[in-house]
Amino acid sequence: MDYATSFYFTATEIGLSLCGLALLLVAGWQGNKSARMVTIISVAALFGAAIFSIGLFDRATGEVAGRAFGDLYRADAFGSFAKVLIYVAAAAVLIVTPRFFERIDAYRAEYPVLMLFNAVGMGMMVSATDLMTLYIGLEMSSLSSYVLASFLRNDERSSEAGLKYFVLGALASGIILYGVSLVYGFTGSTNYAGIRAAFEASFSTGALFGVVFVLAGLAFKISAVPFHMWTPDVYEGAPTPVTAFFASAPKVAAMGMLLRMAMDPFGGEADAWRQIVIFAALASIVVGALGAIGQQNLKRLLAYSSINNVGFIMIGLAAATPGGVAGALTYLAIYVAMTIGSFTALLMLRAPDGTNLETFADISGLSTKRPALAWSLLALMFSLAGIPPLFGFWGKFVVFQAAVQADLVALAAIGIAASVIGAFYYLKFIKVMFFDEPTREVEATSPVSHWVVLGICVAIMSPLGYLLTVPLGEWTAQAAASFVAAM
Amino acid sequence: MVDLEQYLPILIFLFVAAALSALFVFLPMGVSRLTGAHKPDAEKLSEYECGFPAFEDPRSQFDVKFYLVAISFLLFDLEASFLFPWAVSLEYTGWTGWSAMVIFLGILAVGLAYEWKMGALDWQ
Repeated sequence: MDYATSFYFTATEIGLSLCGLALLLVAGWQGNKSARMVTIISVAALFGAAIFSIGLFDRATGEVAGRAFGDLYRADAFGSFAKVLIYVAAAAVLIVTPRFFERIDAYRAEYPVLMLFNAVGMGMMVSATDLMTLYIGLEMSSLSSYVLASFLRNDERSSEAGLKYFVLGALASGIILYGVSLVYGFTGSTNYAGIRAAFEASFSTGALFGVVFVLAGLAFKISAVPFHMWTPDVYEGAPTPVTAFFASAPKVAAMGMLLRMAMDPFGGEADAWRQIVIFAALASIVVGALGAIGQQNLKRLLAYSSINNVGFIMIGLAAATPGGVAGALTYLAIYVAMTIGSFTALLMLRAPDGTNLETFADISGLSTKRPALAWSLLALMFSLAGIPPLFGFWGKFVVFQAAVQADLVALAAIGIAASVIGAFYYLKFIKVMFFDEPTREVEATSPVSHWVVLGICVAIMSPLGYLLTVPLGEWTAQAAASFVAAM
Repeated sequence: MVDLEQYLPILIFLFVAAALSALFVFLPMGVSRLTGAHKPDAEKLSEYECGFPAFEDPRSQFDVKFYLVAISFLLFDLEASFLFPWAVSLEYTGWTGWSAMVIFLGILAVGLAYEWKMGALDWQ
């Protein structure tokens, strides 16, 4: 086997690992005064990895098809597309992070290092074509996430979020491992191609149990109902920049992992898992919409919103066609921009004394004090609700289109009906900001970096985003085609 | 059909193990009862485990340093358990196997250097 090719295809992971190790030593010897510098280098490394992934996007075709290390890892168009999303999302979150912690003097140089290792794990998750590589990537990403969730270690809520995430995350890992062991036991292979071939030869009840356990564990990682219970608590307790991160990049990674798993090794048995995905999709949409209605805390509300969105992405998966995968990827890309925009806006909401504003009561009448921020939030909320002139509508449109083309008309109809329930609390945001009396003082200025990130997200969500529909359609179609090529 | 006869050695092994372990427990008890003085008191009858009282309030505070040492031990213990099969199979894996292990050790060394510098190995 040619090691040079393998190293070339895994170059983003190798580069980010080396960068993380070097920065860990810098963090150890220079201490917290190097935190800014470490953050800047990490952001540069993440952008570099994203650019490299773009370069790999259509190069990993042909005979080798991006296979590295004896098909343990595959750098195909799908992996590259997901990785660009992951790295850019992680970099964007990292840009808006330092201010939040520096105010309370809690920023440490280890934070960006943890993000880098997390990014390595997430890259492996979406590119893994072997259950072993998949599990290593998953654990690498999860372990650093647990630490990030409890980063404010003197804060009770942050520690609680970290502990809760750790206990439930470890449980989910155990469930996945159990499923993996069953799948291996019934197919005799941990390689995706081997599993697929074995399933095509015979698909026993035991193997079905394995598939169900793996799917249940993955549903936990993407916080799909009925495995969503940790999400609101962890999102509320974790520091806001960490919540922004959890809601964006790891979601893409877990969803990418689920898409590849469902379409590649389990792809021949779509009928076996389709019912599970349809149930999880509908339950996520309904629970996400209904659960958010009574919430007063905005981070908790956005947690339910992310559960709701995961349901829509899973509608694309339920179609189990290349069009469905392309739709799910389109939705993911739009969802990441909306989520990072919303959380950046939330990070910009601060009282003059530096406390975070994160309830509905805090943002009432925001339009009179911070009009630009209020209008940005308005665009993001309308977009999350899927109201047509904004780009969020396009994501919902492509997944429903894929579902209808796959003869899942009832699923699409219920999904559309439930998205109307979700519109209620997005509109409540706007009602509170624009029509209620101002109650709290809000800090008048925000750092330029926050405005840049928010501005880019809002620009993508604005009708200008429709300029992206053609290239986004092409990229996602090409990414979805990598499964067909693998078959 | 599984041929159960081939599991006979395991069955014998289990019986022997059960008999021997029962012997190890009860023989010292019997010998000490027959030969030594039998004067039990509260301290002698209490269970002994790693210097901690066996039963106490689970909510008591615990020094986090114990966990640091435990995690470091776990890491390097596992490293050693990787090194044994690597060492005996080196003639088959060749330079590829050698460089893979050196990379792994390098990553662990970076972690150890960081841990050392941050004072996680000082006990005070």
